[in-house]
Amino acid sequence: MAIGDNEALVNVTWAGQNGDLQDPVAYDSTDGDVRQWVTEAVRAGDIAGIDADANANFADYIVQRFPAKGEGDEAKPNRIMIRPKTPFGV
Amino acid sequence: MKEAGVVIDLQGRPLYWHAPEDRTVGSLPDSHDLWEILWENREILAGFGHSHPGSGQPGPSHTDVTTFAAIESGLGKRLDWWITSSDKMSVCRWVGPGRLTYAPIVLVQEPSWADRLRAISAGLTGPQLETRRAVLNYLLGKGSAPTAEQVQAIRQEWQM
Repeated sequence: MAIGDNEALVNVTWAGQNGDLQDPVAYDSTDGDVRQWVTEAVRAGDIAGIDADANANFADYIVQRFPAKGEGDEAKPNRIMIRPKTPFGV
Repeated sequence: MKEAGVVIDLQGRPLYWHAPEDRTVGSLPDSHDLWEILWENREILAGFGHSHPGSGQPGPSHTDVTTFAAIESGLGKRLDWWITSSDKMSVCRWVGPGRLTYAPIVLVQEPSWADRLRAISAGLTGPQLETRRAVLNYLLGKGSAPTAEQVQAIRQEWQM
């Protein structure tokens, strides 16, 4: 899959499973858009490696962005990761 | 005092002490590193303990329960969520039916790592911990008298 300079792979963690959205998204997509796309994809079972879950809810998940790095064979594209939040306290 | 946390495995052993630099008296901030630890150890993970300021029976905040639910949904398993105050400890577990319905149970017997969590939360270093342990054991009749250096350290700490 070719990833454009302004695009990113989206990595999703849900129910002890991990996988990527089928298609890249714009790297500067809003957090809300990423949550919406991921929610729809998991509910529909569209992510390889993650079982469909009609109750998937990413409201309390963090959207993190990691810029592309490396060159040539070592090159890694932009990545967006959506994972559970981890703060505690008041 | 600043909040601190600890990741606990299924054997009840601490796997990782969580005391990020940007923690405060009342909060542990979101941490990518903590999530990586939880994810990498998900097969042997029992839960996570964290400290609250003050004394009395500790209960979870809204931030706490939304984090409990998010982490459990990501890992696909239920966990134990311990909370310490200066003198009490409880463990929270999901009881349902709501997504955020967690109930705290006060623990009569605390796990062995509870005091270290409180000490890290209080910002005590290794030597300070050893000094307090030596003095406490002596007062309880369980050990020899603390050294002159330890007595001096306690005097300075207590401004005696």
